[in-house]
Amino acid sequence: MSPLELEVSDMFDSTTPLLEMQDISMHFGATKALDGVDFVCKAGEVHAVLGENGAGKSTLMKLIAGVIQPTQGRLRVDGKEASLNSPKTALKHGLVCMFQELSLVPDLTVRENLLLGAPGAGLGWLKGRGLDTAQSVLDRIDGADIKMSQRVADLTLPQRQQVEIAKAIMKKPRLLILDEATSALSASVVEKVFDLVREERDAGTAVLFISHRFHEIEALADRISVFRNGQCVATFAKGAHDYGEIIDMMVGQKIEELFPEKSPHRNEAEVVLDVRNFSWEGQVRDVSVTVRQGEIVGLGGLDGQGQGAFLMGLFGLLRKADGTTAISGQPGEIKSPKAAKHQDVALAYIPEDRKTEGLILDQSIEENLELAALGRSDLNAGDAGLYAGTLDQLALKHGGLHLPVSSLSGGNQQKVVLAKWLALKPRCLLLADPTRGIDVKTKTEIYAILRQLADQGTAILLLSTDYEELIQLCDETHVFFNGEIVASLSGDDLTPQNIIAATLNVSSEGRVNGATEGQVAHA
Amino acid sequence: MLGRISFDAWMPFIGVIVLIVAGSFFFPQILSAEYLTQQLQIAAFLGLLATGATIVILLGHIDLSVPWVLTGAAILSTALVGSGNPILSVLAVPAALLFGALIGVVNGIGVAILRIPSMVWTLAVNSMLLGVAVLNTGGFNPKGESSQLMVTMASGDLLGLPVSFLIWITISLALTYFLIRTPFGRYLRSIGFNEKATFLSGVSTPSVVFAAFSIAGMCSALGGVMLAGYANQAYQSMGDPFLLPTIAAVVIGGTSILGGRGGLFGTIGGALFITLLTSILSVMQIGDAWRNIIFGVIILVMLLFQTLRKGAAP
Repeated sequence: MSPLELEVSDMFDSTTPLLEMQDISMHFGATKALDGVDFVCKAGEVHAVLGENGAGKSTLMKLIAGVIQPTQGRLRVDGKEASLNSPKTALKHGLVCMFQELSLVPDLTVRENLLLGAPGAGLGWLKGRGLDTAQSVLDRIDGADIKMSQRVADLTLPQRQQVEIAKAIMKKPRLLILDEATSALSASVVEKVFDLVREERDAGTAVLFISHRFHEIEALADRISVFRNGQCVATFAKGAHDYGEIIDMMVGQKIEELFPEKSPHRNEAEVVLDVRNFSWEGQVRDVSVTVRQGEIVGLGGLDGQGQGAFLMGLFGLLRKADGTTAISGQPGEIKSPKAAKHQDVALAYIPEDRKTEGLILDQSIEENLELAALGRSDLNAGDAGLYAGTLDQLALKHGGLHLPVSSLSGGNQQKVVLAKWLALKPRCLLLADPTRGIDVKTKTEIYAILRQLADQGTAILLLSTDYEELIQLCDETHVFFNGEIVASLSGDDLTPQNIIAATLNVSSEGRVNGATEGQVAHA
Repeated sequence: MLGRISFDAWMPFIGVIVLIVAGSFFFPQILSAEYLTQQLQIAAFLGLLATGATIVILLGHIDLSVPWVLTGAAILSTALVGSGNPILSVLAVPAALLFGALIGVVNGIGVAILRIPSMVWTLAVNSMLLGVAVLNTGGFNPKGESSQLMVTMASGDLLGLPVSFLIWITISLALTYFLIRTPFGRYLRSIGFNEKATFLSGVSTPSVVFAAFSIAGMCSALGGVMLAGYANQAYQSMGDPFLLPTIAAVVIGGTSILGGRGGLFGTIGGALFITLLTSILSVMQIGDAWRNIIFGVIILVMLLFQTLRKGAAP
């Protein structure tokens, strides 16, 4: 930029955007989390950022908050080039992020957490300044009952989010990032938070808003940007496109085309997996699930509501779990993964984190494929034919099976995990969020193979954080809340509204079911 | 099979050749067959210990109970022979191996069931074995002697090669076959890389840990028996000087101290290299102090080398 241009842009300060990102790329190894993104954020505007998981939204937010630095590209704050090399620098520029992973220290009190990183903190005495602001924010968003002296660990999830919001606002942000900030809050509190955000906006704060809930974006956003595969595919004023168009932009194709057609529901089909009264240490409570031949059954809910533990328990990973599991009518006690994969039971479990749980990254693709089949006396693990079918169907892209599995992209790694287990011809397949952070094309391939397996008689239990999967792929979806199934939806009841409502344990009208603990079972 | 052997594993063999060639300029007798076969015989003691240690290190753990498993096995076997009872004296070697396997199981309980870091648990086991040995003998050198079998194992010759060397190589070959051809070997390395993922693949990881520590215990015990045969007696602390060279031999042989990567072929070279180096240093009349410093430096350099290589790889 020439000195002249610089002068010109300085002269028109009122139109200079608060934050301007130019040609920003962020690479993690071979993965391009962001690829040449241009992004502008103006003061006094709520800017919603939409995109699927893995589209690059969180990476973008981390860049702005100074948590990571871009591989290439330029970033300007108030028209001046800035390098945000630490969260502290970002804070100095007034860029404040409220992360979706809660960033409170559990063992400290609310007060101590609020003062962590507050302006003026650091060496020297702690000052109580700003706490008044935090308290008044809390009062406004129904958090008056949160005491400053309470330990954060003793707060409920919604209360923690309220504290997070207060913490962000007391830093007097010029740019406030809300990354799934209200995911655990009930509808009435969300409305109050929105009022607060609008007030901040009218006072000149720029707000970046990430949410998966369309009605929230409808209520709050002024401008919308859609991200897909690390690129910003469109930016437009709210109202310029309707939901359907926006969703098409997010996925790059029509949603209906992503998912295979469901098979006609067969209520009389044989029951493959029958779990009765499964409980574990208060985290899973009295859960019963049946999966019939040809069915894909979904498990939904917010993170950590017991659905993950339930899957692990079925695979014999939890000690002291109660309940009975019957496979094809035969009751069996599954005490370990080894017992679970035995040919008499034939369960397979695709764990949540493929990098640390599903694969051994330092070993070759081949060795990873063989690891599960090795312990089965009826299979010859060295026979490449066991895996070839699945690998062909999923179109695994690799430069040789002897290469380390770490050389593959995330989606291809997940294909290896699937092929490794499908070689065992499981009668029942347990999947923990198998498409998290995976590109759309691979997702489609995985959906197709799951549906095909179901049609061939494999019972499939799919835990997912993606509503669309629970709706479009599953024949029946059980939603977990606080360790229990609060809703079992199938057929026409399987709608986004019903799932979201059940996830938050509110009835569709928006009232909270049950007083605090959510003990009320949904119909 | 040779195709599987990494460059790291060839390094110590190159080192051995360099040592022999360089040493022969100062001491021409190094090139004599007599000297070299003697080195093979002595390398076998260290080599057996390092074989067991390699198995455990591949698993991603470490066995620090080597010195007193070795000493315990030596005391036990010489005491049985020294009792004069012919039946007990025949049982001396099997009993010592059983003792080694048993301590391996104890190590396995700590590591696989109680989930205590192996570095701490096996060190505690080593210390307890020391205590038991001292209680048993009152702190004096134990009475007893070696059987003819033990002496032959340590000092005999067969076809011009030391029996001890042949035993070591046979065991190494057998275990190498075991590591490459059986699921056990695959599980061992998989656990060394990532125990969680291996367990989730339906592998009974505790059994593998038990087996590995038992094999290591038996290797240490066999080393003890043969050392007792070599010296025709057992004595307190006879294993203590072996701990550092054992780990050094494994590391020099290219086995990653973090587990998963490596193998027994390199360990053979590592044991030969350490033995030869020790011998040449003592011929050059360099004291124990310098020898220890040199061993420490070699271990650090090898670890540094492995780390740098790993960092350079994409």
